Amino acid sequence: MIKRTLGLLFLLGTVVAIAAAQTPTPSPTPARTPPPAPHTNLKVGQAAPDFTLPSTAIGPDGRGMRFKLSDFKGKKNVVLAFYVLAFTGG
Amino acid sequence: MKAYQADIAKFEGTDTQVFGLSVDSVPANREFATKNGITFPLLSDFKRTVVKDYGLFNEEGGYGNRATFVIDKDGIIQHIDEGNVAIDPSSVEDACNILTHKKATP
Repeated sequence: MIKRTLGLLFLLGTVVAIAAAQTPTPSPTPARTPPPAPHTNLKVGQAAPDFTLPSTAIGPDGRGMRFKLSDFKGKKNVVLAFYVLAFTGG
Repeated sequence: MKAYQADIAKFEGTDTQVFGLSVDSVPANREFATKNGITFPLLSDFKRTVVKDYGLFNEEGGYGNRATFVIDKDGIIQHIDEGNVAIDPSSVEDACNILTHKKATP
């Protein structure tokens, strides 16, 4: 009985050793490497830098609307999604 | 951007204004919005001042990088997503929901 158990353990050990010896298959490298991304220097809890920018929205006067971030203070939360048009497939 | 458009109702439900922002011109963004059915305003930072202020300007490529900021009603940054994580709006939605709940229970 003990002999059988020992034999089983030896067999198990061999299997584990073989599995460990196998080199992991390299993950396929992405066809398109993303551009180097500088990280924002801003942190949660800091004041968001204010800005005024033209936009795609059309105002009641039929002209393009400009938006100022600080105009939303005390009124609405703002989600600001920076995107790269050239890299936005959809 | 498309993912944000699909979830715009959720954002509006949390008393939030959504903006897209890129360094492209207004006409280029307008075409992009029309093509993709985007109804929220897309801001044009063609002078690259805002992407620089937010530390997202790519000097080599001359464009801004992908990132999403959630700014509360006091003008304070409450959440930041950077890189490819920023494509998925779910964590931003969670942040907005937290802000709304904050308001409900002061």
